[in-house]
Amino acid sequence: MDTLNRGIRDAFRNSIRTFGIVLILAVAIAMTLVMFMALKTVESKIESVKSSIGNYVTVSPAGIHGFEGGGELLTSSDIDSIKTMSNVKGVTSTLNDRLRNGDDTNLESAIEPGSFGNRQQERSGDSSSGNTSQNENNNPNGQPQGEFKMPVMVVGTDDLSITASLNVSELNITSGEKFDAASEEAVAMIGTKLAEKNNLSVGSTFQAYGQNVKVVGIFDGGNDFANNSVVMPIKTLQKLSAQEGQINSIIVEATSIDSVSTLETDIKSKLGNKADVVSQQDSSNQAIQPLENIKSISFYSLIGALISGSIILFLTMLMVVRERKREIGVLKAIGSSNAGIMAQFSVEALVLTITSSVVGIIIGVFMSNPVLNMLVKNAATGGEGPLGRPGQGGAGMMMRFGEGMMSGARNVLNNLSATVGWEIILYGLLAAIVIAIIGSAVPAYIIAKVRPAEAMRAE
Amino acid sequence: MLKVKNLTKIFHQGDKEIIPVNDISFNVPKGDFAVILGKSGSGKSTLLSLIGALDKPDEGSIEIDGEDITKMGDNKLISYRRDKIGFVFQNYSLIPNLTAQENVMIPMEFIGISLKARKDSSSRLLDRVGITGDTQNRKPGRLSGGEQQRVAIARAVANKPKLILADEPTGNLDSKTSKIIIDLLKELSKTEKMTIIVVTHDEQITRLADKTFRITDGKIS
Repeated sequence: MDTLNRGIRDAFRNSIRTFGIVLILAVAIAMTLVMFMALKTVESKIESVKSSIGNYVTVSPAGIHGFEGGGELLTSSDIDSIKTMSNVKGVTSTLNDRLRNGDDTNLESAIEPGSFGNRQQERSGDSSSGNTSQNENNNPNGQPQGEFKMPVMVVGTDDLSITASLNVSELNITSGEKFDAASEEAVAMIGTKLAEKNNLSVGSTFQAYGQNVKVVGIFDGGNDFANNSVVMPIKTLQKLSAQEGQINSIIVEATSIDSVSTLETDIKSKLGNKADVVSQQDSSNQAIQPLENIKSISFYSLIGALISGSIILFLTMLMVVRERKREIGVLKAIGSSNAGIMAQFSVEALVLTITSSVVGIIIGVFMSNPVLNMLVKNAATGGEGPLGRPGQGGAGMMMRFGEGMMSGARNVLNNLSATVGWEIILYGLLAAIVIAIIGSAVPAYIIAKVRPAEAMRAE
Repeated sequence: MLKVKNLTKIFHQGDKEIIPVNDISFNVPKGDFAVILGKSGSGKSTLLSLIGALDKPDEGSIEIDGEDITKMGDNKLISYRRDKIGFVFQNYSLIPNLTAQENVMIPMEFIGISLKARKDSSSRLLDRVGITGDTQNRKPGRLSGGEQQRVAIARAVANKPKLILADEPTGNLDSKTSKIIIDLLKELSKTEKMTIIVVTHDEQITRLADKTFRITDGKIS
């Protein structure tokens, strides 16, 4: 109790000295804290960017991209082989097709062709008359110019929870309900735009591939393209379109963000030439690069601040202890133990450090935003190249998703600001206390070990 | 009470050897007021440091009540200094940010006396050395040299040691105050049966001594 009392009183025995020590330590602690906050903030931003990208790997048949290209579709045996791999959390397979009004369906697209649609139609018409290599299966042609109507996209899926496979960011059921994705019944969910255009509601039927399909739900996918589409259980679509066992996209969910790259490589080597394997990792790496730069700046600054902070704290305590070497000698002469002296100086160091930490934390909180803003400004200038490039997705919607993410990352940089968590403050305090104990106990121990006569000769 | 035998201490300064205590032997009986007289640099302070276990000798033995302190380990030396020795230094060596009373209380804290008992006992001791009333609550900086040395004496006797070692206790004091301090020490040796060894260069003090040793160039004559 009295050792504690003496330690506390010693910390404040000279107000100018105490003020100087507290100020020096507070600045060192504030610097460390700012760098720590910068690191933590950037780390959490990187995590949130990564998780917004999703840990998915898209496997498409080789040579086929959306409805472009040619080659053989994937089959259920490919799915089975992927399912046995490590790092796989879930596998979703989809089959995409286009329903043409008149030929395949009585549905009319809610999207007008416009100049883009007409141009695409024109070009596919040209190519089919010139060479027959493209779009034989998916893109029937020969419709007279001008009467061209946009096809309706149909997606067959075996998992409605993986919305990326449906080309939507989220699936809101506006009426009816979701179907059982494992079903083989002739049921479908349709987008709101398509339902409106064709006057369809839950319970009505429409024609597809010459059969009646019942609408069980109407959804809002958040974008016009998705809202003009039909979603069916994959087995239903395979049966109706006479493509049993065929798959044109597999979405593999990795167990974690960090295993995506490994999984991508594994799938590539397993399926070989049969499939094109794409993940968002490469593009996400580009998006994250500026953040990674800030992270490494903050990391090294944190190390620097920690080292210099520790040295400042250590040397300050060393001086505090050394200037009272004689007093330590006297205390030992009148019967104090080494442990008692260490305890007294540790208490003094702790009081000084806790006082400095409180001041340092206040300074740190005020300094963190300006410092982070400066870091972000620097990194944004350096990172313009990779940020400007478009993302590389799977189908068209994937491309849009990728680009959205890019601008999202840019926003992350602009809006990046430090938030002070209690956890961070506690970490800082804990670190300072550990350094203070080492910084005071070690010199106190060294002097306490010296023979009192020698300690008392010091002046 | 105190038996010093063939005591030698050697300091090394570069290639040079300094022997401030050179094969010294002497005895002091219990309750005596002994004076070790010597000039500056004669080795008298070093001798006192060795007896008080503030330093270790290179050769010889120091027996206190039959126990040889030169054979004690560090932990035993701590309790030896705490329980059996009281120090009085030339420059008082009080802890500057503690009051007179708190300074006297420190040694008692080391032997585990309760706070209340420490307060009562320290106050009584200070009364006895002539530091009374509010003066007891002053810090050393607000006390005169004589007052500080009285506080130091009260601190030295706080744990009722068997041996008081005073290193030039009057070195910083005028002759009038010096006499008061020496009388106080002499009185303690009689009433409390404490053995007192005073190291000094002041011939005057030897007049009060039960025993006087003269030390020259590390040797007692």
